[in-house]
Amino acid sequence: MTRADIAREILRIFQEEFEIERPDPDDDLRERHNFDSIDAIELLVAIESYLGSELTQGEKKQAMDIRTIRQICGYVEALAKSRNVLAEG
Amino acid sequence: MPRRVVITACSAITPIGHGRADIVRSLLQGVSGVKPLREDDLLSRYIHSRVFGTVDYPVAYDFKRLYRKTMGPVAYYACQVAKEVFETAGLDGAFMASGRLGVAFGSVHGSPTVQRGIYRTFFGGDRSEYAAIGAVDYLKSMVHTTAVNITRMFGITGRVISSSTACTTSSQSIGYGYEAVKYGMQDAMLCGGADEYDTTTVAVFDNLLACSTGFNDTPRLTPRPFDVSRDGLVVGEGAGAVLLEEYEFARRRGAPILAEVAGFACNNNGGDLILPNLGGITQTIRLSLQDAAIPADAVDLVSAHATATKMGDVIEAQAIHGVYGDRPRVTALKSYMGHTMASCGVIETILVLYMMAEGFVAPTLNLDEVDERCGMIRHVRKPEERAVRIAAIQNFAFGGVNTGLIIRKFE
Repeated sequence: MTRADIAREILRIFQEEFEIERPDPDDDLRERHNFDSIDAIELLVAIESYLGSELTQGEKKQAMDIRTIRQICGYVEALAKSRNVLAEG
Repeated sequence: MPRRVVITACSAITPIGHGRADIVRSLLQGVSGVKPLREDDLLSRYIHSRVFGTVDYPVAYDFKRLYRKTMGPVAYYACQVAKEVFETAGLDGAFMASGRLGVAFGSVHGSPTVQRGIYRTFFGGDRSEYAAIGAVDYLKSMVHTTAVNITRMFGITGRVISSSTACTTSSQSIGYGYEAVKYGMQDAMLCGGADEYDTTTVAVFDNLLACSTGFNDTPRLTPRPFDVSRDGLVVGEGAGAVLLEEYEFARRRGAPILAEVAGFACNNNGGDLILPNLGGITQTIRLSLQDAAIPADAVDLVSAHATATKMGDVIEAQAIHGVYGDRPRVTALKSYMGHTMASCGVIETILVLYMMAEGFVAPTLNLDEVDERCGMIRHVRKPEERAVRIAAIQNFAFGGVNTGLIIRKFE
């Protein structure tokens, strides 16, 4: 998977799972889109499914300060890299 | 100084219709909402009673995901009737969030549909399935899911009461809401109950030999309260909500008043958790009249709990006769839709409000031949044009809990 794939998938999850259409990459998701702690947990489940592997409790805790789509993409890229599934492109 | 409490809006989703026009038509035409039990790939194959009071029409929900994400089927029902009540009532937003509006709403189990998903995962034994338990499954399935999904959707910050006392759940909701307003703790209360389609409850009653099994091929002919050939209850689904307001508050804002809650009582039989108890039932009826400060002969209509079990109906008929004699009309509204469990008390209250408004009394359906042991009270056998001024709604639950509500037409 490439960075572009990850960005596309995150936007798809937001559109289909959370009914948030075209969020700006730097929108504060909580402030602008009512994205709350329940959604954050659901997002982590969707990310696990996308990566095809479970996240550790430590990895999950790292996600708790994330506020924007740009940060989410960076977080998933780091997870993909640590699992050797991130391709350049 | 106790305050007067009035009902200013109501809404119900029932096996015989959604909203006043549909429900009144069904009552007047004798339409039954009892249908064949649906297969559920779990319990239905073992259940002898093949009937269910079913909401078999689509209900159009328009809830944003923000709210949907914590709702199981039972909360959809609850929030829909609450939404319809609030749309009718037109309370202003500042009052809704003032802390002076509370919610009294319950269900028997929360959401069994969601709970089944959780159990399936637990018993699956595969570690990878653990993630299939959604982060919000508890919020969707917990016993007070109906009440708090309503508070969330409408930004209500007042008291929350979430009774879960089986068949008296929503009559307690109304009663405790009434007391909260009467004694000044709240100015308004949204009260009701809901239960979703669920075969677990059918299995429980089926195993107690309390369910109807003799009319599996003709569902509309059961249940048969007070009839000589009754053979047990029929479980059903549905939801109902009423808005209670303090009288002066309602008057000042020009709210239409449907009726006054004149009295309420709740007691326990203090012993057996299942068997009907003449002393306990009689006492709750008397206490409700005492709370309303009206004599028994002022009551025009009794909405009986009447689930169509062999002994329950006989004991209830004895209690009604003991308190009221044979003066008031008696109708058994479960004959139209079965026993909608947590919602039966509020649905029966709403049906009585409709009858008060339209000047008729709906008969007990399927009452072809009155059991002589139930024959000492005045059964309604066909629709009657009749002004109803004061009505009593009585409900009794497993656990020995009894409730009596007295409502009075507002004049």
